[in-house]
Amino acid sequence: MNFTRFFFISAFFAILALPAAAAGNCGRVTIADMNWNSASLIANIDSFILAKGYGCDAELVPGDTMPTGTSMVEKGEPDIAPELWNNALKDAIDKGVAEKRLRVAGKSLSDGGEEGFWVPQYLVDKNPSLATIAGIKANAKMFEHPEDPDKSGFYTCPAGWNCQISAGNLFKALNLADDGFELVDPGSGAGLSGTIAKAFAREEPWFGYYWAPTAVLGKYKMVKVDFGTGADENEFMTCTSSAECENPKVTMYPPTLVQTVTTEGFATRAPEAYDYLVKRSFKNAQLNELLAWMEDNQADGNIAMEHFLKNYESTWTPWVSAEVAGKVKKALAGM
Amino acid sequence: MAAESWLTKFPEMERADLVAIRKGLDAAYRDFSRAWGETIEALFDPLLYFLVWFEKLLLASPWWLVLAVVIALVYSASRSWKLSLGVAVAFVLIGYFGMWDNTMRTMSIITVCTLLAIVLGIPIGILMARSDKMRAIVTPILDIMQTMPAFVYLIPVVMLLGIGKVPGVIAVVIYAIPPVIRLTNLGIRLVDKEVLEAAVAYGATPWQRLWGVQMPLAMPTIMAGINQTIMMALSMVVIASMIGVKGLGQPVLKSITNQYFTMGLFNGLAIVALAITFDRVSQAYARRTQRHMEGREDA
Repeated sequence: MNFTRFFFISAFFAILALPAAAAGNCGRVTIADMNWNSASLIANIDSFILAKGYGCDAELVPGDTMPTGTSMVEKGEPDIAPELWNNALKDAIDKGVAEKRLRVAGKSLSDGGEEGFWVPQYLVDKNPSLATIAGIKANAKMFEHPEDPDKSGFYTCPAGWNCQISAGNLFKALNLADDGFELVDPGSGAGLSGTIAKAFAREEPWFGYYWAPTAVLGKYKMVKVDFGTGADENEFMTCTSSAECENPKVTMYPPTLVQTVTTEGFATRAPEAYDYLVKRSFKNAQLNELLAWMEDNQADGNIAMEHFLKNYESTWTPWVSAEVAGKVKKALAGM
Repeated sequence: MAAESWLTKFPEMERADLVAIRKGLDAAYRDFSRAWGETIEALFDPLLYFLVWFEKLLLASPWWLVLAVVIALVYSASRSWKLSLGVAVAFVLIGYFGMWDNTMRTMSIITVCTLLAIVLGIPIGILMARSDKMRAIVTPILDIMQTMPAFVYLIPVVMLLGIGKVPGVIAVVIYAIPPVIRLTNLGIRLVDKEVLEAAVAYGATPWQRLWGVQMPLAMPTIMAGINQTIMMALSMVVIASMIGVKGLGQPVLKSITNQYFTMGLFNGLAIVALAITFDRVSQAYARRTQRHMEGREDA
């Protein structure tokens, strides 16, 4: 659905933009506005700063990891993906960078993304052993499978996402099947977060894969289950995250690279604007705070952008020159 | 430029009020699902057990037995060797390309959805045909069901019932039931007034008029509605798999995210093969029963 919508809209904007004269030396810039809150917030911030501070003709286009990443490699459109999760699109990004079609500007999240197997906080409060994998296995019976009363359910990553491979490999490595667990494919990100919302509404047990910083983990307090092994980055890269991994070993998830990726064309066309993207980076704690604010106010990316630029000046001013900061502040005052 | 006024800018509701409304309704729904979720879930348990049982039956039976039963059903409904052979070839190809299990899962859930849609839809259609007031109420509801984007109601249903087969069935039935209701209503309303008057003149009770005159004469239209319902149910397979319904939709989703075009095409074609099978068989059955009745009238 997103796929076709994305192409229609980007095609539409491409036609619209043909006669538009280039503003400043930056010209027309398309920024992928991904359909989750943190990425949408960053996209809106980029759009505002590039438009007001660098004189770009910035345009937000709807996007999603797969279609946006692919379109950037194949078509050079859109110009900027403000929050691409490397775990979801590693091969395509690596290939694009190697072929000089893409450029990785920097880390959108300086701490990296956090993945893992989680259980709700209220379970751990009642039984602290559930914060470890041994405790989960010992209490397997409480995690009911949605369709099979004889089994326990582990909510895995939706079909087709890269994390489905790593979660499946870890499921195998942890021998969860021996304790009666079965992988439950939620079908989509919305399906997965729906199961979490359901569990929290009734304080039911829940055990599954998720990632942070996300609005879901900002809203629902969860505890990352400790495998007792630490993160073995080498093992994770070579085996756990690969579909061909025959003998997966237990390892925690290492932090995921979450990057700002631009097309090569944009990076060479607008080096100053590109320089801003290199510096623009969030701490997870700060982003979680912003996501919680968005959740509380049911704010979209545009409103949250205004909130951020007005209230977190010390965060964003170091990303730009004093002159650009002045222009952005002036534009903000006029809002 | 003049200051903003209601002439230049649409007089919107205050954002704070809007947020309050949105949050209030969300919280109300959350409270509702907290209070009633388990009860409602228990209500649907028999359906879930049936769905699980039916799927296990199709999966556990040897493939040749399932194939034989399907062919027997196709032949007994259509009495056409050509059609039966076509279906056999389609199913053998599906199995040969490694999609047998997923096809069985999809077939089981679609069969249940279609039956449910027919069992619920025809009585509603009859009621609609008998009362203009009923029609005025039901028609806009059907419009909503057909156009409301599935995810708008899917995720609340997931919060209430969890992921899996039951929410999947609900989503598919909501989307697929309107044609059978609409066309049942239309078919009955199109029955010739004079034929009905003749039935009344012979002293037929309302019940006899319905089952002896209106329903048989409306049958071709109702069958067209059932066909549409089947087609729409199958086209919902992919959406249903987004809330964890196993079957042909899952590999389709997987191939979309990873751009495995051929895999998507194969699984898509398997869905098409199922749709054509259901469609041709029900149409052939309808034509046959219709011919049979014409024959009786002539005699």
